[in-house]
Amino acid sequence: MTTRLQLTSPLQLITLASAALILLPLAYVTSQALSADPAVWSRLWNTRIPELLTNTVRLSASVACLTLVLGVSTAWLVTRIEFPGRRLWEGALVLPLAMPTYVLAYIYSYLLGFGGPVEHVWQLVAGPQARIFSPHSYLGATLVMTLDTFPFVYLLSRSALLNMNVSFEEVSRASGVSRMKTLWLVTLPLMRPSIAAGLALVILYVVSDFGAVSLLRYQTLTYAVFQQMTGRSDNTAASILSLLLVGLALLFLVTERWFRHRSRFYQTTGRYRRPERHRYGRLGTSLVTGYLMLVVGASFALPAYLLIVWSLSPEAQATIDGRFFGFLWNSGFLAASAATAGVLIGLPLAYMASRRPNWLNLGCLQAAYAGYVLPGPVAALAVLVLCLNVTPFLYGSVLVLIVAYVIHFLPAGLQSLEPALQQITPNLEEVARTLGLGVRQTWQSVTLPLMRNGFMVAWVLMFLQTMKELPATLLLRPVGFDTLAIRVWMEASEEYYQLAAPSALLIVLLGLPTLLLLLSKDWRAA
Amino acid sequence: MVFVLLVSLLAHADVVLAADKLTVYSGRAERLIKPVLDEFTAKSGVQVDLLSSGTTELVNRLKAEGDRTVADLFLTNDAGSLEQARAAGLLRPLNMREVERAIPPQFRAPDNAWIGLSGRFWIIVYNKTLVKPEELKSLLDLGNPKWKGKIAIPNAGSEYLQAGVSVIRATYGDAKTKEFLEGLRDNAGAQVYQKSSQIVEAVAKGQASLGIVNHYYVYRHLAAQPSAPIAAFMPDQQEGGMGAIMNVAGVGIVKSTKHLEPAKLLVEFLVAQAGQKLFADLDKEYPLHPEVKADPALAERKSFRAAQVPLTRLAELREPTLTLIEQVGLR
Repeated sequence: MTTRLQLTSPLQLITLASAALILLPLAYVTSQALSADPAVWSRLWNTRIPELLTNTVRLSASVACLTLVLGVSTAWLVTRIEFPGRRLWEGALVLPLAMPTYVLAYIYSYLLGFGGPVEHVWQLVAGPQARIFSPHSYLGATLVMTLDTFPFVYLLSRSALLNMNVSFEEVSRASGVSRMKTLWLVTLPLMRPSIAAGLALVILYVVSDFGAVSLLRYQTLTYAVFQQMTGRSDNTAASILSLLLVGLALLFLVTERWFRHRSRFYQTTGRYRRPERHRYGRLGTSLVTGYLMLVVGASFALPAYLLIVWSLSPEAQATIDGRFFGFLWNSGFLAASAATAGVLIGLPLAYMASRRPNWLNLGCLQAAYAGYVLPGPVAALAVLVLCLNVTPFLYGSVLVLIVAYVIHFLPAGLQSLEPALQQITPNLEEVARTLGLGVRQTWQSVTLPLMRNGFMVAWVLMFLQTMKELPATLLLRPVGFDTLAIRVWMEASEEYYQLAAPSALLIVLLGLPTLLLLLSKDWRAA
Repeated sequence: MVFVLLVSLLAHADVVLAADKLTVYSGRAERLIKPVLDEFTAKSGVQVDLLSSGTTELVNRLKAEGDRTVADLFLTNDAGSLEQARAAGLLRPLNMREVERAIPPQFRAPDNAWIGLSGRFWIIVYNKTLVKPEELKSLLDLGNPKWKGKIAIPNAGSEYLQAGVSVIRATYGDAKTKEFLEGLRDNAGAQVYQKSSQIVEAVAKGQASLGIVNHYYVYRHLAAQPSAPIAAFMPDQQEGGMGAIMNVAGVGIVKSTKHLEPAKLLVEFLVAQAGQKLFADLDKEYPLHPEVKADPALAERKSFRAAQVPLTRLAELREPTLTLIEQVGLR
């Protein structure tokens, strides 16, 4: 394998073009922010930035703490304790990931809202004047984001617990250390890298969320970027806030990478045995089941139940007409285009990085991961700014929106494409070549068939993420391209709960297949 | 890549091919405008594609799209934004007798590039069980610490908040306006809403004692739930007061439209008595056509005074208003 640069090969050019497509918008926003009038910077520093930074960090921190407790405890229960229905709970704990944050947020603003059902119950207990906390607050945002993201920590902790070499725990138990103390002194420290990776995912998710914070009116950087873009006639302030946001997200991403890198030290080889699951008595078992019921109930079952009831209400039924199917079609069309474009763009990047891993190709691949730190409104702003400066004739077309999707969701696709390509040894391709196949034929009959699976997983992941996407769609959609997500947000932001329900329910149902992919995937590799 | 290009071409072609079809960019809530447009389609047979979004966002979009825009008309809830669009050369001057006959000149641009369709007043909505109307007088009193934690206000991005603050600045100057906004900010706390309907809802439930909204949200709420304990208070009517802050929702034909005839037809429909009556009945706004009556539930238009700041000035007042709002740190 040669690492010499071959800039002229067509594949190399395509790779460079793909990377440019992703980096250019980001570069434009950065330059717009940096070239902004210092007066705008100082105005923002003196007014909005301190509040926005504090709010964003505060929300991330509290959600991280709570998901840590929820995620690790549930993972430990389903892997170390034996109780009836254990396998069922193991799957059910992933379900909240099918709920987009804006759906959960709107359901909780109904449940916990002023004069809502929870408050009524509370007033029966504490007297007619008693009030509960408002969901439109720091607490409300924390609750919703926690319920929505704890499965990340759960999934990573669960696979850590499953893959862990149990001899460590056995040694500890054999030396007379109690079960609780073993958990504290042996198991948890061994899980640390996975937990940290899970928390980093949670934090990135919280920092870049738009749906929940906008419906709960909690001011974070991501929400502020959107507000600046829609409320001001120039994008300078939005660019500045975006730059800060990207910096913040980058910080978290680097932390996550660092922990993931360290996690290699913890991989244990040797004989693997399934951990033995402890059985509790009747009381213990019902406590465990009750706890899991509470968690899954609050994060998925109750919201899903409400969505179904609302969808069946006559008000909601009246909205299921030709227009509704138009929105469904738009969602499907946009998601399919974005997923296809994402695979086509991701493929050369992943291929070149694995076959010719020189600095250029590896750099291009890393660039493609920029989407990780670009929340939806920022991706939209970036594409918008680039488009206005370079290709104004494309403004307002579907293409612009699809580019924003690709930038935003390519990392999700690459995570499946990359390992799929790495699994194919170059020997197979070389054999094909020595047997007389041309480059193209080798691709067609050897490489492509071998990577079909990774391909499909990447496509499905990008399809479903695009389906749920809200802020970029809101900002960039052409005339007549309202999607299901847009409808949910529009109705829910005016508190027409029933009217938002059919679209929301459909999004949740369509999201369920992704969960199968998540469960089957080895989350340590992700 | 080729696939994506094809997709975008198809989407463009779709728009170009449609002959009897109008594309309307609308900064008004879809709920308020779609019934009116549906009525127009039923009458004229002209299909209307609607893009509902934020007003400022749509002005930005029209500017960016320039001559390539697919929009034929721009419909919105704020005269300041319409005037800004006109000043940027995005709208087409009109010479239509129907318009001049129906809409008084103070409610349109001098060259008729935009035309007001319906009037709205920025009023105080209060919960009748929590507040007595005698306690209210001027909008500016709402900055008083006595209302701490009791007021619901719209967010800083809302165009009618910006227009309202512009009128207050033009009447009382920056220093007094700033003082008012700071008081309002502290009194509202976290009760800053994206939608006026949410503010009315919050006041009706008693979550807030009072709020600042456009009048029709109160009457629409009352029409749906007659027993709600809310009422509208028309502020600043006291001796020497500035008068109630008025704004109009209006429409303009986009300069580059390729469907001028159907676009004019729509404008004609909107200013005619039948169209004006839709704004009065469905939306509870004040029709601008002098012969069309407002909904009887509303305060008689002649019974109160409006602030004396011409609508066309809202555009020039806007940038400094935004700076002031940001300085104060309204959300």
